Amino acid sequence: MGKTSKTVQINMDNQRLEVHRGLTILQAAESNGIYIPTLCAHQDLSPFGGCRMCIVEVEGMRGFPTACTTPVEEGMVIRTKTSQVQAERKEILQLILSEHTSSCLVCDEKVECKEFMGTIRKAGVTTGCRYCPNDDQCELQDVVDYLELDEIGYPVYYRGLRVEKEDPFYDRDYNLCILCGRCIRVCQEVRAANTLAFKQRGRFTVIGPAFDRTHMEAGCEFCGACVSVCPTGALSEKARKWEGKPDREQITTCALCGVGCQMRLLIKGEKIIGSLPAQDPVVNSGQLCVKGRFCVTELVNHHRRLRKPQRHQNGTEVELSWNEAIEAAAAELSVCAPKQFGMLISPNCSNEDLYIAQKFARVAMGSPNIDSSTRTFYGHGFSAYLDLFRQSAPLADLEKSSDILCVGLDARFGRSVVGVALRKAMKRGARIVTINPRPHNLALMADIWLKPILGAEAGLLRSLVKMTERKNSTSRTRAKGQGRGLTQDLLTVAEMLKNAHSPAILVGSEFLQHDKSWQIFELVGRLAQNVGARILPLPAQNNLLGSILMGTYPEILPGGFSSADEKKARQFKKSWSVNLAQFSTGWNASALSTGPRLKVLYLIGENLPGFDQLADFTIYQNIYSPDSPTVDALVLPSAAFTEADGTFINGEGRIQRVRKAVNPPGDALPDWEILCRIARKMGKKGFDFSSAGQIHREISRSVMNLGRFHRPKRKPVPLTWQGRVNVSRPKPSGKVKDGKQIPFLLHASSAEHVYRGFLLTAFVEGARQIFPQDMVDINPKDAQKKGISQGDAVVVSCERFQETWTANIVDEQPPRTLHVTLHQSASLGANPHRVKVKKKDV
Amino acid sequence: MKTAAIDRILERYRGDSSALIAILQDVQEEFHYIPEEVAIRITEELDVPLSRVYSLTTFFKAFSLTPRARYPINVCLGTACHVKGAPRILEKLERDLGIKTGQTTPDRTFGLEAVRCVGCCGLAPVVTVGEDLYGQVEPAQLSRILKKYKEAGSKS
Repeated sequence: MGKTSKTVQINMDNQRLEVHRGLTILQAAESNGIYIPTLCAHQDLSPFGGCRMCIVEVEGMRGFPTACTTPVEEGMVIRTKTSQVQAERKEILQLILSEHTSSCLVCDEKVECKEFMGTIRKAGVTTGCRYCPNDDQCELQDVVDYLELDEIGYPVYYRGLRVEKEDPFYDRDYNLCILCGRCIRVCQEVRAANTLAFKQRGRFTVIGPAFDRTHMEAGCEFCGACVSVCPTGALSEKARKWEGKPDREQITTCALCGVGCQMRLLIKGEKIIGSLPAQDPVVNSGQLCVKGRFCVTELVNHHRRLRKPQRHQNGTEVELSWNEAIEAAAAELSVCAPKQFGMLISPNCSNEDLYIAQKFARVAMGSPNIDSSTRTFYGHGFSAYLDLFRQSAPLADLEKSSDILCVGLDARFGRSVVGVALRKAMKRGARIVTINPRPHNLALMADIWLKPILGAEAGLLRSLVKMTERKNSTSRTRAKGQGRGLTQDLLTVAEMLKNAHSPAILVGSEFLQHDKSWQIFELVGRLAQNVGARILPLPAQNNLLGSILMGTYPEILPGGFSSADEKKARQFKKSWSVNLAQFSTGWNASALSTGPRLKVLYLIGENLPGFDQLADFTIYQNIYSPDSPTVDALVLPSAAFTEADGTFINGEGRIQRVRKAVNPPGDALPDWEILCRIARKMGKKGFDFSSAGQIHREISRSVMNLGRFHRPKRKPVPLTWQGRVNVSRPKPSGKVKDGKQIPFLLHASSAEHVYRGFLLTAFVEGARQIFPQDMVDINPKDAQKKGISQGDAVVVSCERFQETWTANIVDEQPPRTLHVTLHQSASLGANPHRVKVKKKDV
Repeated sequence: MKTAAIDRILERYRGDSSALIAILQDVQEEFHYIPEEVAIRITEELDVPLSRVYSLTTFFKAFSLTPRARYPINVCLGTACHVKGAPRILEKLERDLGIKTGQTTPDRTFGLEAVRCVGCCGLAPVVTVGEDLYGQVEPAQLSRILKKYKEAGSKS
């Protein structure tokens, strides 16, 4: 055997093994089915050698080396289970357990207690085996069982630490912690977030953020990676604490944003009890953000879920059977003229739902009036934003990028998976520039933070585009309306992007509701062309591209074709026997309040304020009951993404499978099935589907090839649709006259933690802490001048609106500006608004 | 004042993140503790996480997160010193300074600690004040010793 050989011969427990050079003894043992107990080692983390459980005997080596830190060598003779090794392990385990509450591990009554719970317990809450949330899912229990430890020879040192419950989503009981350091390593190595570290030393050692800050203050992203790797019950999910062990798992796609992370749903009986990241190398590489990790369970199990069809009339609610409900819907729809019908469908729905919805509108109702509230979310920048996808690249390309420009991106909570990719790119040496007028989580780590003056973002991007246009022209261009320091930074960034060998531009959502959003996106596109950058838009809606490619807009036909495309219209006429060319495309969601009144409005996964006032009759189909009692509506219960099969198309154009994990609650049905039943009741042809797979096949056959339903294509579909959405002019901004005072500039963003028209904060306890509601950010100096302190009610007013919000004092909020996140900020008009601020009189 | 001092220290190491412990030592010497705002400044300049700085400062006894006395007084209570009357010295110091063992005077000039053997039993009983060592100390000498440091402290 030469030195260059890739493998080495070793002898482990009298077995001759050939293993890869560079593996540790532990890895070699695991890959050959030899069990070595460990507590601190983890496959995704660097070796630590802290718990000493994996000690082995190696011939010729002194003492007992740890298997997790010792690499294999040619000719090594290793014994993993000699009586001496086992005795040492037992001793060490006793030492570990002398600081761990251990009644569930070595109690005499262990077996009986598990079966009958008959033990009389004198111990406090955190010391009893039944009181650790990880009973039966604890690695410490496994090791105790393996070593057959039944007694601890050392006096127990109970630390009596306070159980930390102040942060959202997970509790921390460090009395159960064995200081294996897995949580710290996953926070540092995998997430690169560096929130956690060991504090103090010796028997006072604890784990936590610096300066005894809460996790919230320390910048924790609540990704839950630490909870996933904890071998004990020290870290436990609040929502899953006493659910116990799951029966089964289902891999699916997260529906809470456009990244499209693959996740494992944990199921017990007919209930989803948790969600964990799936090891998917293409999209999220084993990571999730707070929404996917912690919000799904509470979202789909909430008591406000609709279970039965209902008829709401003048404040009374009558439960209906499906037959009665379908009949009622069909009766109303049969007498509704095409022009008087309107349908809105949320882009949170699957491709199959979206396809059937538009087919329902176009074929069953003969009406082009199908749209989505996405139009109001993106406003007049919608078309320009969609154009960015035409130059888009897969997320995995971030790994190859040398220079990354982030436009209006914040990746602390939502999209933290992208934040991880960015930090990994940085570690590799990539340079990061972020453009954002407000404080955000990338500000700290980015090489350069371009901080445009609020309202002058388009100007900044225009300068950047000009600077990158021709070689050697940078020095002569000046950034208009920006400070001198910023101009210097801009020049640096322009040079950097021009010379970058593989630049990338990430587009977040800071500027979506901006009055010049269309210009901003157009400029981003031009900048990308100038420097040859890939663009990665990160939409908030999980199936935004699906809604385009399935054609749920009046201007866009399935396949992304323009409805003015006569050739396509003829094709659809053949298969659907409906002449699409006869349709005018004048109607859209914004006409709901201003246009002629509709007879029937059909909402699928949409929740508009006062929706029952917009038409004579409303069909409201969603997973939650409406926010307020409705005057007159048919309320139909539909299935959440965890309860129906289908596919999504994520922001990269990747077709991703959503799988049914559990049955929907009560009588709820998938959206497509409800639509098909109504259409069949109306006597319409072309709705005879019995599964989402059949719909998928029809889409693939007649519209565009989405690949096989059960195993979608791995490669993203080309995002080169032809249709364009029409955009209206921006709504007017708020203005105010306040004597000689210069007004404050208010920027209102739309919330992105939305699922099927509802804010996550309405259903998820912890989300309320991380996504502040109706909080207006204000600079400390401005607050002082106005006599406003943290948490005060403040009145923000102008000629168009007057709102009362809660003050949130933010150091880095630029002076004389305000920021607020609202459910639907478009209702205020286009940003920025000129407003007056004052403390609310009590 | 803090900013200028920390600038000087950071300048010395030119933002070298591997010199973190050396920088913390200099900060400890300068301020007699590691102030939180200085720790934050260091993380920004060196590009190291705050959790790491905190981890180090709490691990090593040499660092403190609360202001330490300018002149820490250690009274040896090892066997030799004990026999030679160290408890009486400790008692007298507690009385003179008006603090208990383990505490710091309100003006942060003196801190009082009892230690086990400083390694020069031939000089027993031994008291160290700051960097200086006093051997064969008589209780009567103590007020003179303290006076010296009080004067030095008020001068600077």
